[in-house]
Amino acid sequence: MIRKYIPQLIILAVIAVAGTIASIEFLEMHHPEPLYPSENLTEIVMLSNYSEGLKGTNADTEIFVFDSGKPGGTALVCGGAHPNECAAYLATVLILENIKVTKGRVFVLPRLNKSAFTCTDPMEGFPQFYNIETRNGTRMFRLGSRVTNPLDQWPDPLVFSHYPSNQQLSGFETRNINRAYPGREDGNLTERLGHAVLQLINEENIDISFDLHESSPEVPIVNVIVYHEKNEEIAMGAVLGLEMQGQNYSPELSPDNFHGLSHREWGDYTNTAPFLLETSNPSMGRIREATTVELVLEGKSKFYQKAKETKALRIAYNEERGEPIDHRVARHVIGVNELIFSYNMLQEERTIEIENLPDYMEIMENGTGYYLHDPMEPNHENKQ
Amino acid sequence: MSIELIILLSMLATFAVSVFIVKLPAGVSLMMAAVIGALVGGQGIPVRHLVEGGFGFFEAILIISTAMIFMKVMEYTGALAGMSKGILKIFYKKPTLLIIVLVLFTMFPGMLTGLSSTCILTTGALSAPILLAMGMPRLAVGSLIAMSAVFGEVAPPISIPVMIIGGGCDMPYIGFGIPLLITALPVALMVALYFRYRFLHNYDPENIRRYLDQLNQEKHGVRLYIPLLFVVLYMVGEISFHEYLPHLGVPLIFMIGALMGLLTKKGTSLIRASREAIRNAMPVMAILVGVGMFLQVLALTGVRGYLAVVALDLPVGLRYLAAGIMPFLGSAYGSASIIGVPLVYVFIGKSTLVVTSALVLMAALGDLMPPPTLLCAYAGQIVEEKNHFKILRVSLIPIAFSMLIGILIIIFAQEIANFIL
Repeated sequence: MIRKYIPQLIILAVIAVAGTIASIEFLEMHHPEPLYPSENLTEIVMLSNYSEGLKGTNADTEIFVFDSGKPGGTALVCGGAHPNECAAYLATVLILENIKVTKGRVFVLPRLNKSAFTCTDPMEGFPQFYNIETRNGTRMFRLGSRVTNPLDQWPDPLVFSHYPSNQQLSGFETRNINRAYPGREDGNLTERLGHAVLQLINEENIDISFDLHESSPEVPIVNVIVYHEKNEEIAMGAVLGLEMQGQNYSPELSPDNFHGLSHREWGDYTNTAPFLLETSNPSMGRIREATTVELVLEGKSKFYQKAKETKALRIAYNEERGEPIDHRVARHVIGVNELIFSYNMLQEERTIEIENLPDYMEIMENGTGYYLHDPMEPNHENKQ
Repeated sequence: MSIELIILLSMLATFAVSVFIVKLPAGVSLMMAAVIGALVGGQGIPVRHLVEGGFGFFEAILIISTAMIFMKVMEYTGALAGMSKGILKIFYKKPTLLIIVLVLFTMFPGMLTGLSSTCILTTGALSAPILLAMGMPRLAVGSLIAMSAVFGEVAPPISIPVMIIGGGCDMPYIGFGIPLLITALPVALMVALYFRYRFLHNYDPENIRRYLDQLNQEKHGVRLYIPLLFVVLYMVGEISFHEYLPHLGVPLIFMIGALMGLLTKKGTSLIRASREAIRNAMPVMAILVGVGMFLQVLALTGVRGYLAVVALDLPVGLRYLAAGIMPFLGSAYGSASIIGVPLVYVFIGKSTLVVTSALVLMAALGDLMPPPTLLCAYAGQIVEEKNHFKILRVSLIPIAFSMLIGILIIIFAQEIANFIL
């Protein structure tokens, strides 16, 4: 009798073993890596303070506040909207762990979609973690998903209808925070997250805000600063300033018929000046080779090199340097710095003064890890 | 020879040996191909990746299992036979018109949901017995409903592959109605005519009359069709009136429909219907798990990128043929994402709306193609053909014809756009 079921029992045993191994690996992503805010940190608040709907959910996330105590403007720096865009996250962490604010306030939100840090995208073959070498040890970071974990928001509709424009996108985008703005208080988890971010911007009178991202090299909107039409002057000033530092950024006007994105909706629904920065990341692209941690960090891609040589399409890929993580992080950091500088040039009272952020050459020479906190000092007073 | 090509060949060889020589099920063969691909690619046995890929089509698996239960209940209540009879009564004297109506009818759920599989599992299951009764060979019936499902996935108002391409290049889903219609509808009609004149030489209306007389005369009125009506209306409503209707998800809609079906006729057993439906759907669900693993390993090992580079590396004059690679990725959504997005940029300068619509036609054909041969496998379930590759073989001419039309639309995209937009 039992002999009859042996093949089935073997299959069940294999599934059980594979499921257990995979579960252990998936659960590891639910442990957030420690962050070490700079000594100038004033307070940490939760995003749910601005919208009750996030309380107790896996999307509730920390906001690190740096208040100089001197009256001035307020900036918001967001990373981790798409946790698979690792340079955007690391740049925010670098800012968090080094910044000193001497006038006004800066809010840093490194894990904007915290839920998306707890999973990877199926059928993409992404690694779950990557390591960054600091001056005295290795720090491990999670490479998450583009969208909210389906364990936190499911099922997706067949078609995602953006609120309130009714713009239609594929159902998968329902869990994409950068298609969910302005969000709504009683919507799905991602919409509630979007709503909370807008509440934060409104309640804290955020003057200038940054949403850091990365793109596939073949996408036209890459190595850009996307700006809302009301903030063209700030964007152009920054692009000029960055060009003087030897870095080219294309200014891109936010399209008024594509809804749900931060540069459109933050600008439409609040008084902030929103900017979205994109760097080129070959490990995210469709033309990539084997998806390895080396590709994520070193950004050297033989396939993108070849695709560029075909001249079939425009590819944002540097053949000599590749698109290494230090270059991508550095572009975000100096982009934020320069945009704040350009914003200050147009202000009299609500200016924001920040210090202690490395410039492009410093990050390229020393590496991103040099500016991250040493993990061998576990008793850092602000460890989170 | 590049390592990616070696990996790809080893995966395809494993699949072929497993299916055709060892005679293992297609789903298991895909899983084995994924494991071999990972091993050849130096990834060992990447358990996490295999499990993650296996869940890549989890929602589709739920949809198929619940849709099959729903259709089984509809079969038991007599709703399926009743609808077939109604359509036949109206059109049986005009076979050409009848086939066109059946093709459009089969396309309908795909047009509303963007899912090709729902076409076969709902309206396709209704059309198949009619086509069989008309005297069309079983394999041709399977092929025709599979082809109709492809066109349903492309046709407006909802085309998810367009949305996937749009998501990849920040293009809103606006203005695609007419381009998608002129891409899908003429090809669908021509394919319908091909099947009419290729496979239905000796149509005799008297046979149909006799068939109609044989059908169960039991009458239950319109209430039999309420579950079907509910399923179709709620799926459309969820998309069109999402502000007012709670989001249930397709699987739950099908299950509610199935429960409603139980109320329309006494003695219908949900347990029996579920057991039979899941037993029937199991091979297809296994294929979906296998396809997910297969695609995950393609991405993990760089084979996916290799295919994209090969497409882009074609000489300028042959670049239109790059679109011809799309169906061979074996999945509409995968193909739209992997090759569709770069190709939209390749053809910048022509009407993006028309180019994208034609690319979606090419991508949608991928749902018919191996290794997963998904729509052929579904159609095989409907026409009770165990070797679904036979359905693929009958589909080769319509597939080639549709690809030709797709490429012509891309070549003349701007001229077409000037005319229609």
